[in-house]
Amino acid sequence: MNGNHTIALTINGEPQQLHISGNETLLTVLRDRLYLTGSKRGCNQGVCGACTLQVDGINVRGCLTLAALCDGTTVTTVEGLATISGLSPIQKAFAETGAVQCGFCTAGMMMAANEFLAHSPRPSADEARQALAGNICRCTGYKKIIDAVLLAAEMMSEEATA
Amino acid sequence: MSGAFTVVAPDTLRSVQDLLATDDEAMCMSGGATLVPMLNAGLVEPSLVVSLKKIPALSGISRNTDNGISIGAMTRHVETAASELLVGSLAGVRNAASKIANPVVRNMGTMGGSISFADPGADYPPALVASGAEIEILSTEGGRRVPAQDFFVDWYETALEPGEIVYAIHLPPADETACGYHEKFARVEGDFATVSVNVVLALAGENCKSIRIAVGACGPTPVRNADVEQALVGKPLSREALLEAGKKLAAECDPVDDVRGSAEYRLNLVPQLVTRAALNAQALLQDEGAA
Repeated sequence: MNGNHTIALTINGEPQQLHISGNETLLTVLRDRLYLTGSKRGCNQGVCGACTLQVDGINVRGCLTLAALCDGTTVTTVEGLATISGLSPIQKAFAETGAVQCGFCTAGMMMAANEFLAHSPRPSADEARQALAGNICRCTGYKKIIDAVLLAAEMMSEEATA
Repeated sequence: MSGAFTVVAPDTLRSVQDLLATDDEAMCMSGGATLVPMLNAGLVEPSLVVSLKKIPALSGISRNTDNGISIGAMTRHVETAASELLVGSLAGVRNAASKIANPVVRNMGTMGGSISFADPGADYPPALVASGAEIEILSTEGGRRVPAQDFFVDWYETALEPGEIVYAIHLPPADETACGYHEKFARVEGDFATVSVNVVLALAGENCKSIRIAVGACGPTPVRNADVEQALVGKPLSREALLEAGKKLAAECDPVDDVRGSAEYRLNLVPQLVTRAALNAQALLQDEGAA
């Protein structure tokens, strides 16, 4: 599986140097080479949102990102949300609200919520629905997922004022 | 994923062009939101993928000396959807960008990439036709400009010749007394349109001063008819007149049956969406007038 491209990038704070093929997506590299299996491969077409992750601070689809073009980037996946002091407010809120059923969409949902709440700290339920419109849940857990995003917003604003 | 290929990201336009000109099986990639799904599905098998990501000249929206607006081919939907330069008669382009897919795909996809693929269900084709855009195309031999209605040639086919790339999309100066609007009907938010209608409307008092209507996702290329538009000018926009205009446009559409709707269903949608698009544009203009 040794490829003809060498990339150096930072993934969840750790520098990585990898030899990959041109046809590998960032999602494939994360899952199959680095065993970071939090990001899920759903449709592999950019539609379902299960592979949503951050490259240089912007949310992208891991399945639509060619790894060969990620040289020099900083990548954050769902595995990078938690800190040494524990789960992030978004992760806590998803757990507390029961927003996880089968869990396949959860990583993507949390990454979408992560970018959204960074820009909209006090969102309405409708704004949260819009922000997560590109993430599909097949357990029909949307109600609790939106509850979780709103709870995370509350937790984050309490944290900020504490 | 398809077979092995090499990925390069040259930092000059010249090297992009040279690579595309010398390798018949090379493919140009902008944001990846269109090409990578095709690669993942094994629908295309390039020998080389030439990324435009290191060419800053291809990104961004700017006002020209003649007040026209230029959109670089690599400009992402998220930027187009928020541009303060796309107002009045150009607001329909911004509105179309805001209705493409979902926030994450709008972070990735670009106007040049989207129109080069020319999916008839995409949102830009009718928006660019209605707003009178010109597409600037570049090859090793030089550049040329093609009006949007001639750029879209057939199902997934554009005026691009092998080795050519879209350099920029040029829009006429914004008429701030007009209003562009993109009416999109899709099965769920974020899907390609079942049918979309893009209008650019100007009023003179209660009357329609000018209107441009382009129907998308209802045939190989956007459908527009200047006579149908002209028949609406000089009088108030009534539902009856708009439905009539929509029926005439539907008669020129050539939709297919697919997962997003039958051809018959699409033809039934056209008059309704033409009416909605025009009345929504009119309401926006009247709100502005009242404010």
